[in-house]
Amino acid sequence: MGSAHSVPAEMRELADRTGFTSEQIEHLHRRFKQLSRDQLTIRKENFDSIPDLEFNPIRGKIVHAFFDKRNLRPESDGLADEINFEDFLTIMSYFRPIEMNMDEEQLDRFRKEKLKFLFHMYDSDHDGKITLQEYRNVVEELLSGNPHLEKESARSIADGAMMEAASICVGQMGPDQVYEGITFEDFLKMWQGIDIETKMHVRFLNMETIAHCY
Amino acid sequence: MFLLLPFDSLVVNLLGISITVLFTLLLVFIIVPAIFGVSFGIRKVYMKTLLKIFQWATLRIERGAKEKNHPLYKPYVNGIIAKEPTSLEEEIKEIRRSGSGKALDTPEFELSDIFYFCRKGIETIMDDEVTKRFSAEELESWNLLSRTNYNFQYISLRLTVLWGLGVLIRYCFLLPLRIALAFTGISLLVTGTTVVGYLPNGRCKEFLSKHVHLMCYRICVRALTAIITYHDRENRPRNGGICVANHTSPIDVIILASDGYYAMVGQIHGGLMGVIQRAMVKACPHVWFERSEVKDRHLVARRLTEHVQDKSKLPILIFPEGTCINNTSVMMFKKGSFEIGATVYPVAIKYDPQFGDAFWNSSKYGMVTYLLRMMTSWAIVCSVWYLPPMTRQPEEDAVQFANRVKSAIARQGGLVDLLWDGGLKREKVKDTFKEEQQKLYSKMIVGNHEDRSRS
Repeated sequence: MGSAHSVPAEMRELADRTGFTSEQIEHLHRRFKQLSRDQLTIRKENFDSIPDLEFNPIRGKIVHAFFDKRNLRPESDGLADEINFEDFLTIMSYFRPIEMNMDEEQLDRFRKEKLKFLFHMYDSDHDGKITLQEYRNVVEELLSGNPHLEKESARSIADGAMMEAASICVGQMGPDQVYEGITFEDFLKMWQGIDIETKMHVRFLNMETIAHCY
Repeated sequence: MFLLLPFDSLVVNLLGISITVLFTLLLVFIIVPAIFGVSFGIRKVYMKTLLKIFQWATLRIERGAKEKNHPLYKPYVNGIIAKEPTSLEEEIKEIRRSGSGKALDTPEFELSDIFYFCRKGIETIMDDEVTKRFSAEELESWNLLSRTNYNFQYISLRLTVLWGLGVLIRYCFLLPLRIALAFTGISLLVTGTTVVGYLPNGRCKEFLSKHVHLMCYRICVRALTAIITYHDRENRPRNGGICVANHTSPIDVIILASDGYYAMVGQIHGGLMGVIQRAMVKACPHVWFERSEVKDRHLVARRLTEHVQDKSKLPILIFPEGTCINNTSVMMFKKGSFEIGATVYPVAIKYDPQFGDAFWNSSKYGMVTYLLRMMTSWAIVCSVWYLPPMTRQPEEDAVQFANRVKSAIARQGGLVDLLWDGGLKREKVKDTFKEEQQKLYSKMIVGNHEDRSRS
């Protein structure tokens, strides 16, 4: 099987930047190779080979998030056609668990990063605002499995939620005020109180080696 | 030139004598016992010796690794992520609860609801159960086959010499021997069944055909040096029943058929397989389908039903997973064979990967490459358990019955019982599965909505 391991110096750099241990990186590398079928990059089609992902109603948005340049590099925009292992790790690092020794500032930055990831998922036209249409889009996708649900009901649910969001962010609106859309600051306000940084992570199992005996 | 002649004849003589001796030994020690179903126990001794050598080799490697401070064993991983066993509802409630102190029974959509699905999605991208099942099981020790050597590097001269000796023995001694045996077995099968086919139908023909089949399968078993332990032989399948087993490789057929009389089911192939199939069906009724007929499920079901209803015909052997799995788990059984209504005799087959990995990864290796790999391994060691017969209860449907049989097989063989469809190795998830999660979530939101509007 002999996979060519990445050079240790690169590995350390990756580990520092993304916060994974070298063992976790090795596992993710193997997973990357599995998904990419031993190529150096992954395209959207490669995610089709994960059966469990088909279950997920927002599958499209999750896969899209991997190729969204706003998540890959700061201050960039647009869509990438394919990503390499480093980009893969960068996206995964949005879900890494918090470490015990983080201070307030680090925690806050962590939280903002994770919330920005979610924000980008909602904001599909990259204009920095979640409009009513985008919101409806997400709700419809999540509720699309129910054949008895008419489009109207899904729409009204979305509208109701949007109005509530508006009331949280802007307070009471005048009769002729139009709510443009949820900006990132408003988005942050809505998540206040929900400690997402402890929930938005994937925990790696502690890998114990097991000695065997005959 | 005259000087060469005596040498020539000497060499020729020696060659002739050694081939005759070899063939006689082959005949006496392998073929004749195969015909009569007795065993000298040579293979068991071989297995014990091999085990001792592997033990020594592993100890040497451990010692060597400790000296050089190498990380040695592959960590045993059953998935790299700690997946929390909470359900959709619980998690979403929990997220809302930790939110802005809203009442829990407000059934509206919350911005945070997306979070659950997002995390689940990333978890499956990181690591999923199904794709793992389709690559060969990773060993935790080295059995002197370089194809299983992942982590072990050069440790000592003695070990390398041993490995080299192993290669020599396997390729230059065992391989030709096995090929000769396989050849003998297959040609005997084809000629034997064709000859029996000319006899008039009756008890004599049945008796002869059963034994010709058995004899040839036994020779093939020895051709692979398969060391098989059968458990609970009193539960062996009877006429009019269906024998169901988990599938790891095409060798499964040979293993089961060398201990009982079965009628085979399958698609007609071309080439050598086709010749064998056509010869077999002359001697006794097997169920072969043309490629076009395979798609027609009703036709398949009808022919199988006809076969099982005729009590004079042998039990059918079927592998309901539909494809080869790597022998660590049992995947979803296709319900077709369970709808027929005959008694089902489950059989669990578990291979010991220490002596040779029998899993056929059909996307990686073709049939010939696979057979060569099998014939150059040390041996194929496996255990077969015959489970007590099961019938479909009145209140369960075919799918539930199939799952019940599958759990029984998985439990007996120590394999993991997975709900997944083995066909996923090649196709994508059926749309009906995809909708389950969405339905659940929308029921949660909308169901409550309806309650509210009603009150």
